[in-house]
Amino acid sequence: MTVDTLLTVRGLTLEVARSGHKVVNDISFDIAAGEIFGIVGESGSGKTLATRALIALLPPAIKVVGGAVRYKGRDVLTMKDRDLRRLRGAEVGVVFQEPMTSLNPSMTIGRQLEEGLVLHTKLSPDKRRARILEMLRRVGIRDPEGALASYPHEFSGGMRQRIMLASVMLLKPALLIADEPTTALDAVIQRDVMELMVELTRAEGTAVLLISHDLPMVARYTSRIVVMEKGAIVEAGRTEDLLEAPQHPYTKKLLSSLPFRGEPRSIDTAKAPMVSARDIVVDYAGRKSLLKKAAAKRALHGVSIDIHEGEVVALVGGSGSGKTTLGRTIAGLVKESGGRIQFQGRSRDEEWQDYRLNCQMVFQDPYSSLDPRMTILALVEEALRLVPGLDAAAKRKRALETLEEVGLNADYASRYPHELSGGQRQRVAIARAIARRPRFLIADEPVSALDVTVRAQVLALFSDLQKRYGFSCLFISHDLGVVEQVADRVVVMQDGRIIEEGDRDTIFDSPKEAYTRRLLSAIPALDQNARGGVSLKWRLEN
Amino acid sequence: MKKVSLNGLIGGTLIAILLITAAIGLVWTPFDPMKLSFTARLAAPSDAHLLGTDEFGRDVLSRLMIGARASVWIGVLTVGFATICGTLIGLVSGYARGWVDGVIMAVNNALLAFPGILLALGLLAVFGANQYGIIFALGIAYTPSMARVVRGAVLSLREREFVEASRVMGNGELFTMFRHILPNCLAPITVLATSMFGWAILSESALSFLGLGVPPPAPTWGNMLAAGRPFIEQAVWLGLFPGLCIALTLLGINLLGDALRDRLDPRMRGLK
Repeated sequence: MTVDTLLTVRGLTLEVARSGHKVVNDISFDIAAGEIFGIVGESGSGKTLATRALIALLPPAIKVVGGAVRYKGRDVLTMKDRDLRRLRGAEVGVVFQEPMTSLNPSMTIGRQLEEGLVLHTKLSPDKRRARILEMLRRVGIRDPEGALASYPHEFSGGMRQRIMLASVMLLKPALLIADEPTTALDAVIQRDVMELMVELTRAEGTAVLLISHDLPMVARYTSRIVVMEKGAIVEAGRTEDLLEAPQHPYTKKLLSSLPFRGEPRSIDTAKAPMVSARDIVVDYAGRKSLLKKAAAKRALHGVSIDIHEGEVVALVGGSGSGKTTLGRTIAGLVKESGGRIQFQGRSRDEEWQDYRLNCQMVFQDPYSSLDPRMTILALVEEALRLVPGLDAAAKRKRALETLEEVGLNADYASRYPHELSGGQRQRVAIARAIARRPRFLIADEPVSALDVTVRAQVLALFSDLQKRYGFSCLFISHDLGVVEQVADRVVVMQDGRIIEEGDRDTIFDSPKEAYTRRLLSAIPALDQNARGGVSLKWRLEN
Repeated sequence: MKKVSLNGLIGGTLIAILLITAAIGLVWTPFDPMKLSFTARLAAPSDAHLLGTDEFGRDVLSRLMIGARASVWIGVLTVGFATICGTLIGLVSGYARGWVDGVIMAVNNALLAFPGILLALGLLAVFGANQYGIIFALGIAYTPSMARVVRGAVLSLREREFVEASRVMGNGELFTMFRHILPNCLAPITVLATSMFGWAILSESALSFLGLGVPPPAPTWGNMLAAGRPFIEQAVWLGLFPGLCIALTLLGINLLGDALRDRLDPRMRGLK
């Protein structure tokens, strides 16, 4: 143990009190003062529970059965409640994943920020106010005075996370625990928030424990990491060394699951496009009330997009850019207020039946896109209900075949969605979409909700099916790594307009628009090496 | 794996006893429930009259057995009426939204503003005080709360992605409504319907108490309870046993309802 070790964890073991199931098994690590330390793992790896134990904030169903946590030499696990309260906030701050729920919606920002200062310091109200204003300015809130009297819902997700960060850093803690601090944010804002966090903690000499499933991000900011799988640490070391030459099979698998650029394919774009949308305008009606009528909000300002036969077109952009609205409009879920959509050269609306049979959609959230009261087989069969020329037996056979194709054997047919994992559910959603053999598929963030290794498997399945059936695809995603792997062409959207489009290599290697450059520079590029490791470098960074 | 829950077992047993008793009451009772006997007025429970006799010397057990039929019948039909009407109205209102929803909910809220019993009283004045009048009146009085609950469930369900997925598959609105939305509303519907059953039996007693229920001498649990009230100090069994019958039935229905809700939901199967 070195002199400046801040936190020591030795043999920490947690289990579910009722079943005795071990959720964290014998983990040990040290965090030095001022360093940025990362814990990487997929969902269910126990990384969040392990960090909760560090400040004795475990849910009641989980109990500590072994090991020790020492903070500055004091044992946290046996600390009295009063001392724990003094420790939390003042010494160890926490930033959670979800900025929507970690701020109290019924309290003004000013009061929430003041709370910690009142609790842990003896500053006068004037001094408190001055410190809060200064901190808000430092985290980049434009109008700090105004922000004090505002409520959380008046800020965007990124701003809320900045405010959250401000409230934690106000107390100048020695350790900041950041649990997936930017997962809910889009790429550009993710980077801004992370940079801000690093800058603030460096200035205050605060150590950071960064927990994330996002390897590139952890790799970028941490000096040392541990990799967790199923409650145990499988590998630990200096970030660069570990990524460069991973030892454990799980780490290797994790690294090889990171998306990489696929081979460019030749798509015949000379022929007339399969789907063609022209000058699409979508307005969302304003809220009407008795006294006033809010103005309609224009979500798409005359957008045009073509998708050719067999082509995968990726639609990228930050949240609120209108990419999902465009996808839903083309799918016919949102009514356009202007423009026209053609399918195979004919008007979509005139050939609606044909279009409906040939255009299918995969949704983002595999937890809500499957009816919880239907079996897997029934879900896939339903997609075939309206297909002409198939009798019941043929439909059943086709449904089972399709399930087989997505890697779910007949055992799964009679199960319900809740019995399946997220990845398996998304396979069902894909099976449902391709059972009809559609010519055109719209995939709205199909892998965003999945873990890294599962995501790689689902993407592989997707490419496989796309090769086999040759359907065209509109692939909506905010994850540029994924886009780089699957897309033939990339369309970048911002504020309801298309600002740049081109084939994948052009967009990724030499983007023209400043916004595209910002998007791209927010995520690192990967070079895979022969030892199963990767080296990360930032794109377009000279 | 298909283990019957304890709730279901207790609830099922209680309801089975009730139904069997009501069925036996149709063909046989220990005494003629209508026969007056001035020699045995307000007799305490004994070997001859297991649950005692009322102020006219009628056998309480026999009357309870006959009354079970009327009470259960009123309960079932009222709840059935309110559930079917309320669910349909709620489905249409929640799924159509817009002005249809506006109109339906305006009427619904107006009806909700009246206490159920007051509304039933008014309707009874129209339908006439008899068994079917009560069923109609209570059914209409309970419909708004069912409609409201179903509408709420539909509003949140229709934004779920599986409903959109159904639209993308080209399914019609009616199909989506009955295949995807209605089955997912079953949990709140079952819970509300079972508690409604309790309200219905109690309201029937209240209406009978006010003289607007099933007219005497025909017994229901409600009017027996009401009739027993003046004698509560001399003959506690007059009020006690009908009250106990109502309480046990409600308990049974609620337990059975909970078990049914869990059984109907595939997510609850196979737990434990």
